[in-house]
Amino acid sequence: MREEKILICDDSALARRTLKTQLKELGYENIFEASNGEIAVSTYKEQAPAVVFLDIVMPVKDGIQVVKEIIAHDANARIIMFSSVGTQANLRTALEMGACDFLQKPAKTEDIRNILSRLIGG
Amino acid sequence: MYTQLFGTFLLENNLINREQLIQAISSQKEKHLRLGTLAIHAGYLTSVEVEHIHTTQTKENKRFGEIALQLGYLTQEQIDKLLSSQKPDYLLLCQALVDLGFMTTTQFEEAMKQYQNLYELSDLDFSNEDFDKVALHIAEFFSVNALEDPGYFARYITLFFNNIVRFIGSDFAPLPITCQDKYSGKYAAIQEIYGKNRLISGISMDEDTLLSFASRYIGEDFSENDEYTLASMEDFLNLHNGLFAVNLSNDESTELTLQPPLYKEELVLDTPVYVVPLAFPFGTVHFFFNAL
Repeated sequence: MREEKILICDDSALARRTLKTQLKELGYENIFEASNGEIAVSTYKEQAPAVVFLDIVMPVKDGIQVVKEIIAHDANARIIMFSSVGTQANLRTALEMGACDFLQKPAKTEDIRNILSRLIGG
Repeated sequence: MYTQLFGTFLLENNLINREQLIQAISSQKEKHLRLGTLAIHAGYLTSVEVEHIHTTQTKENKRFGEIALQLGYLTQEQIDKLLSSQKPDYLLLCQALVDLGFMTTTQFEEAMKQYQNLYELSDLDFSNEDFDKVALHIAEFFSVNALEDPGYFARYITLFFNNIVRFIGSDFAPLPITCQDKYSGKYAAIQEIYGKNRLISGISMDEDTLLSFASRYIGEDFSENDEYTLASMEDFLNLHNGLFAVNLSNDESTELTLQPPLYKEELVLDTPVYVVPLAFPFGTVHFFFNAL
């Protein structure tokens, strides 16, 4: 079992459920969820997760704004943009704001393992 | 996609009815292509010769290939080639329609020739589906040429069909497109896209159809609708629109902005929309979009 905390931020209950199942398959148990950008920022501040999976298209506060706010709070935050909208503009902006990587939806468990392995080892 | 559109062509030309098409689509998955179907497609045999072999088979307990060899209709080399060749999907539809007694092989062949001539399609097009070529065909098939930016909408519809095949299944027939002054539907997800063209698109379906749609999309069997089956519509739509935005960004450097998808139990749109119903064996999924 992996002890690291992971935060999933996605407005889709189904997307959160799918990613959570995949993370559990990989041994992660400390998983937190946020259904919009505002909750994501407050949960990050409370839990200080090792990695954030962040959707881009969300109500209340979109993913790009969330990256900006989390990085302002913690410059070393590890944020993976996890979205179906991996356009050039979104990628560029998210990476410029401080996101570490991008994962296109839908993702295979193997891809999630690889990206986590790069960021937090194991 | 040509196979699905050919099914619609058969329907529009009253060669089969909607129930027959859906029944054939449902049964084609379980079918394996027979040598006779392949031989007609390759031009080695005529439908009359295939019938002759079938009649002979009722008197002699031999396999199709053996009788074809014996009657001199096929060589061993041709049989080997047929068995190892790439088989276009529409042959399965042909076989299903013929086996169910809705069409004869000859009628199917004639309809296919008519379809290919009308849309200037070759056998090769059916084997190697090129996205841009399919999009051009879809523009013509659904008459989206009447829209302001036909190329954009043809690509949008083509990608939608591809995503339906990828995430839900290929066993569907797109029914003729209609333009409606207003749109109302139960169990709907809609999403707005800004950019090159402002677009509202969505899907809607009835309760039972949603259950099957979600079960296929999520890859689990659901016995009743819950927050996850409802979310499957929004999720699918967002995924499709996201992939469309990625394609435009990569191919044309055009950037689109997506609004979060919305679920509506009772949707009423007071604006004209184009509607393409997709008939699956489990029900009909209504795909709609509105060029603003």
